[in-house]
Amino acid sequence: MGNFTLGRYIPMDSPIHKMDPRAKICAMLLVLIAVFMPAGWLGYGIIFAVVAGVILCAKLSFRYILKSMKPMMFMMLFLLVINCLVMKTGTPLFTIGSFVIYSDAITQTLYIVVRLLLMIMITTCLTATTKPLEMTLGIEDLLKPFEKIHVPSHEIAMLISIALRFIPDLIDETTRIMKAQESRGVDLKEGKFTEKIMAILSLVVPLFVSAFQRAEDLANAMEARGYAPGEKRTRYKVLKMHKRDWILLCGAFALLAAMIVLAYFR
Amino acid sequence: MAIKFEKVSHVYSDGTPYRYVALADVDLELTEGKMTAIIGQTGSGKSTLVQHLNALLLPTSGKLTVLDKVIEAGKEQKGLKALRGQVGLVFQFPEYQLFEETVLKDVAFGPKNFGLKEEEANEKARQAMAMVGLGKEYEERSPLEMSGGQKRRTAIAGILAMDPKVLVLDEPTAGLDPAGTKSMMELFRKLNKEYGKTVLIVTHDMEQVFAYCDEVVVVENGKIRVHTTVEDFFRDSTECRKMGVLPPALITLKEMLRDKGFKVPEGNLNIKELAKIIAGQVKKHG
Repeated sequence: MGNFTLGRYIPMDSPIHKMDPRAKICAMLLVLIAVFMPAGWLGYGIIFAVVAGVILCAKLSFRYILKSMKPMMFMMLFLLVINCLVMKTGTPLFTIGSFVIYSDAITQTLYIVVRLLLMIMITTCLTATTKPLEMTLGIEDLLKPFEKIHVPSHEIAMLISIALRFIPDLIDETTRIMKAQESRGVDLKEGKFTEKIMAILSLVVPLFVSAFQRAEDLANAMEARGYAPGEKRTRYKVLKMHKRDWILLCGAFALLAAMIVLAYFR
Repeated sequence: MAIKFEKVSHVYSDGTPYRYVALADVDLELTEGKMTAIIGQTGSGKSTLVQHLNALLLPTSGKLTVLDKVIEAGKEQKGLKALRGQVGLVFQFPEYQLFEETVLKDVAFGPKNFGLKEEEANEKARQAMAMVGLGKEYEERSPLEMSGGQKRRTAIAGILAMDPKVLVLDEPTAGLDPAGTKSMMELFRKLNKEYGKTVLIVTHDMEQVFAYCDEVVVVENGKIRVHTTVEDFFRDSTECRKMGVLPPALITLKEMLRDKGFKVPEGNLNIKELAKIIAGQVKKHG
């Protein structure tokens, strides 16, 4: 279970890591919108160059990002097949059997693939350089204005941080229960269909039981320490915007503006 | 020889920055039919050691013989499932493995996995439940509604129902009350002495080691520091203390008596015999 790279925090000492999570989240959203501007290949080239610059700046390796692309490969192949079947515009390129493959099918798929690639690169820039805790703090702050329309920003942030905190615990628990059931003769790899169902059941039921148990314990522990969701709370860590954060935001805005201009004059 | 480790090493996450050597060139021969305690500090490699016994973990180097099965590092392994039926491993807090609707079904789950028919498995399950002291009235109860101690018994019965030749228990009495602990330890001794099962217990409780076990294995930093009989192990309590082991109260008492000039014979005495000797000597000297 250790080869799970998408969305993992990578501790490094870089200017990007030190930035304010709110600035990073906003910049990410702006650049993501920029990706969806129909600015053509020139636009994508500019965005790619900028994002690659940020990745270098954050001391992340491109190999790592390529690795996190792997789960997407199947989806891209699927898109290619669908596009080839549906798209009937552009110049016919070649035929497979009675099927004619048109040039637009290929270019459309390439567009989508490039967009996906860019989106993964951009989101990785955020998740790999921001600690989960900082991220939730950032989300909480960004949701603050929506409290006027009764969005429980603090509760949402608390939910996210608790969920993140329990992922490694639940992975440990799963391996533990798997081993215990294997000791009782459960074979998760081989066996008939009915046996496999039973094997999964013997894993899922104890996992649910212990997850609920943990949730109850945590709820009691929080209550015992006086946690009340609606109350006003002070923070140990106070976020502060620095010059570099404003520069990042301005850069993201400039990129979006450039894409809009490019799309307009295309 | 039933269980033999030859230069067995186990390395976690080899080739990554998280590389961790849990066992380093372990040589160990365990005697069949004995009750052996495995002691050592947290993180010493005890759990890794016992998980090799039913091939949940395979050695990264070295050779391991368990019953008739030879496991060599780097070789394709077959027939591991059969080994798991012969070496029953009870994990720490085994009550988390319960999942069936009724206690009987859960206890019969193991034997059924090893190819027994419904009827036979239920028969084995009933016997195992009787062994751990769960009567017929528990058969149709939900395992999730029982008390902690009863859950523990159910989980242990689930392993016993597989009728293993070797029983390995990782801290089986952790979190039980004193009465529950005592009856559990007595059950393991009965399984060892009456049913002839080889029993291995991972424990931190020296009183248990002293009172119930035949042999002791001390694991330290992934190596076997000592493997000897319980009697020899506690004879030299300064050696024990060097290993971070506090000798049991009775041994400490004997030492204190000797320091005060009492004549206390060698060998393991129980508390009644010791009391008699003290009383005799106190009377004599008034």
